[in-house]
Amino acid sequence: MRQSFQLLFFGFMLTSQLALGASTQSIKDTHEYLLSNGLKLIIKEDHRAPTVAHMVWYRAGSIDEFNGRTGVAHVLEHMMFKGTEKVKAGEFSRLVAAEGGRENAFTSRDYTAFFQQVEKSKLSKVMQLEADRMVNLNFDDADFAKEIQVVMEERRLRTEDNPDSLLNESLMATALMSSPYRHPIIGWMNDLVNMQASDARQWYQQWYAPNNATVIITGDVDPDQTYQLVEKYYGGIRAHALPVRKPQLEPEQKGVKQVHVKAPADSAQLVMAWKVPRLQPDNINNDEPYALELLAAVLDGYDNARLNRTLVKQARLADNVDAQYDMISRGPALFIVGVDLAKGKTIAQAEAGIRQALAEVANNGVLDSELKRIQTRLLANQVYKRDSIFGQAMEIGGFEMAGFSWQDLDTVQERMQTITPAQVQAVAKKYLIDSTLTIAILDPQTRQSAKAGVQQ
Amino acid sequence: MKSYFDSLVLGAVIAIGWVTSAQAALPIQQLDSYKGAKAYLVQTQSLPMLDIEISIDAGSRYDPTAKAGLASLTGELLNKGISSSKSNLTEAQIADQIADLGADINVGVTGERALIRIRCLSRPDIRDRAVQLARLMLSSPSYDPVVLNREKQRISAGLLEAETKPDFVLDRRFRKAVYGDYPLGNFLTVQSISGLSASDLKQFHQQFYRSDRVIVSMVGDVSQLEAQEIMQTLVRDLPQTGPTIPPLPQLARSPVENLSEREISIPFDSQQAHIAMGMTAVARNNPDYFPLMVGNYALGGGGFVSRLMNEVREQRGLAYSVFSYFAPGQETGIFQAGLQTKNDQASMALDVMTETISQFIAKGPNQSELDAAKANLINGFPLRIDNNRKLLDNVSSIVWNGLPLNTLDTWTEQVNAVTREQIEAAFQKYLAMDRMKIVVLGAKQ
Repeated sequence: MRQSFQLLFFGFMLTSQLALGASTQSIKDTHEYLLSNGLKLIIKEDHRAPTVAHMVWYRAGSIDEFNGRTGVAHVLEHMMFKGTEKVKAGEFSRLVAAEGGRENAFTSRDYTAFFQQVEKSKLSKVMQLEADRMVNLNFDDADFAKEIQVVMEERRLRTEDNPDSLLNESLMATALMSSPYRHPIIGWMNDLVNMQASDARQWYQQWYAPNNATVIITGDVDPDQTYQLVEKYYGGIRAHALPVRKPQLEPEQKGVKQVHVKAPADSAQLVMAWKVPRLQPDNINNDEPYALELLAAVLDGYDNARLNRTLVKQARLADNVDAQYDMISRGPALFIVGVDLAKGKTIAQAEAGIRQALAEVANNGVLDSELKRIQTRLLANQVYKRDSIFGQAMEIGGFEMAGFSWQDLDTVQERMQTITPAQVQAVAKKYLIDSTLTIAILDPQTRQSAKAGVQQ
Repeated sequence: MKSYFDSLVLGAVIAIGWVTSAQAALPIQQLDSYKGAKAYLVQTQSLPMLDIEISIDAGSRYDPTAKAGLASLTGELLNKGISSSKSNLTEAQIADQIADLGADINVGVTGERALIRIRCLSRPDIRDRAVQLARLMLSSPSYDPVVLNREKQRISAGLLEAETKPDFVLDRRFRKAVYGDYPLGNFLTVQSISGLSASDLKQFHQQFYRSDRVIVSMVGDVSQLEAQEIMQTLVRDLPQTGPTIPPLPQLARSPVENLSEREISIPFDSQQAHIAMGMTAVARNNPDYFPLMVGNYALGGGGFVSRLMNEVREQRGLAYSVFSYFAPGQETGIFQAGLQTKNDQASMALDVMTETISQFIAKGPNQSELDAAKANLINGFPLRIDNNRKLLDNVSSIVWNGLPLNTLDTWTEQVNAVTREQIEAAFQKYLAMDRMKIVVLGAKQ
């Protein structure tokens, strides 16, 4: 119709104008330093408000764990709040809170990170605390014994009683044979039950070192003064050799795999996951990962994207849809499409519906207007993301941990704008194929107790 | 995966935060009202973007008894079809246009209000198109019966799914216990949804979506004059007024009851027991707001350093998450505390939680807890207002709850003025252990 024709043109204008403004933005206000002990420091100035985000990222996540000790990266993250020689157990959080700080920590497959957000004059205080626990962690066995119980409660909450998590756990463990990505970040329950304080201490001694860490500071700071501060608190910590990281490359998959999970739920779920390439730091100009990112967005990037439009709104096969792909990671990438089945529909119907939607892209391609819409959105996001200094620190950290540089951020965004409909079609055709496919099915089980509770 | 309940949760989170604030350097400007609608602006010019929130006094509290879910559906369908004398847009066209603008336009409904939130670039051509779309969504939703049927199916499926989840079942049962017959205790169900028709939605829209029930809050790179025009555009097509809307009933204070009357046990075959405890509390404009907020920081609101966190998690390793909060709104809100623990520890955890809350109500915080609470809240104040999104949340809370526009200017002073005696008195005035509803969901041991 007429309106959308206007918008097409409009979108094109938006794209070209913003693209000019977006690049070089992060170059001029971001500063990188390397301390003599190997610690990398990245400072991004943002003077909109008198606050600072201070993060330390350790390149040690569940990908670095071994069988029998799964979950140890995350357990150590918890233990990092349990005291050093100078700071008693629990004091860390009290001291940060007293400065008005907000703090937390998180563990992923690729890294473990710790952060505080504070008013800028408090930066020195929280940095001193964070640097202290990089080298002086000292928790006792009794604290470990309590905290491992907390972690098991966390697993019960997030996974054992959560069918989505159970399904995802089985999907990863089925799709991957040798990569440590097949283990859940929180660890298998039996590994948690058998984990010892010494396992956590060993993890700390192996991986927590300035030469395995990146400090990221965003906000209202002076870069030179902040560098001096980092030198003062982190500069004296000694580097040490890190364990050898074996590649543990996933062997080639030779056919469809399938896993069924029975769990208390009402709707069936179907998830299809294909092994696809990720972006490699030494080949940042490979167009395929970018095309896969855009393919995921064409399928599920906005309310009228293909899967929602065809499977939820038109065919009524599904009540919810999802397409995911992340090209930035240390381990193997999966392109994942999942649906919650609508009432009365079968797994076979849902699978046929997904396959049809994907075949449509592979055979007939995507529209210029569709792709332009996604690219416009990505450009607008470049402005929106600057509203949050914490979000900017997160973005830099995720990039750095996967082996990229913050300096690649703009390049990646620019590259995303150059991808064509033909390239999106080509990756759909090349990679969404049965030989690398894993299918996971949630087979819902009635929870007898549920009805009684609800109806009172 | 996205589900219908994401939006409900989002609404709850908006209500839960003890959010307040703006700052002297970024004053909240009150714009001229237009057709009874009010509008407020905080100008921030460092980023070329604009956030707009349209609040409509049309929340779930207005659901007729037999039509629970009416307000939610009326709001949720604002972006699913437009039919006016000048334009007709399908839901697909609306979604494509929003995406083409690189904008977000989200709709949602909480207990008190319906919300449209817009985030867009401030470039006038983009901004104006986003505003025009929002104007049409607000004033001329088509309420297509086919779309309504589909959404009813999706919501029903989401409800049936949610009823298998411990947190949802607990929350509903707890809220039912606290709200009783008050409208917010009247939840949408598969049955209540199934009876709703397109004409019900149209009628509710006609009755409640009027300009005199609208407040627009804006934060971003826009002049006062432009903001005034935006607000007028948004409400231009709405009727200014309409038939009288009957006043809402008063939410009765949770009564004193024997434990057996207040405590509900829900058998549930999950690995963890989920526990909720709480009662009716206060509205946001209550003069005791600050003593309650500062006190709750010490009790169960202060991240890793609250008394509940210390007793339940740090000392005993009983739970990953334990918390307490007040959820004050325009109307009286609730106080709630909660945790999850493996089934065989449920009664121990409940005992610890009960003892901790009971002690706190009886004696309030000690001096060092009060000092720590004030230090965190006052030193951390800049973090409450350091981006556009947070500023919008603050402006929205202030204007919706009818607070003074200088609330953020005096916020740290008001925190600093709170005394131990005030906290103790306020907790004893509004909370009482013999009024607390307790819901324990889990396997019987």
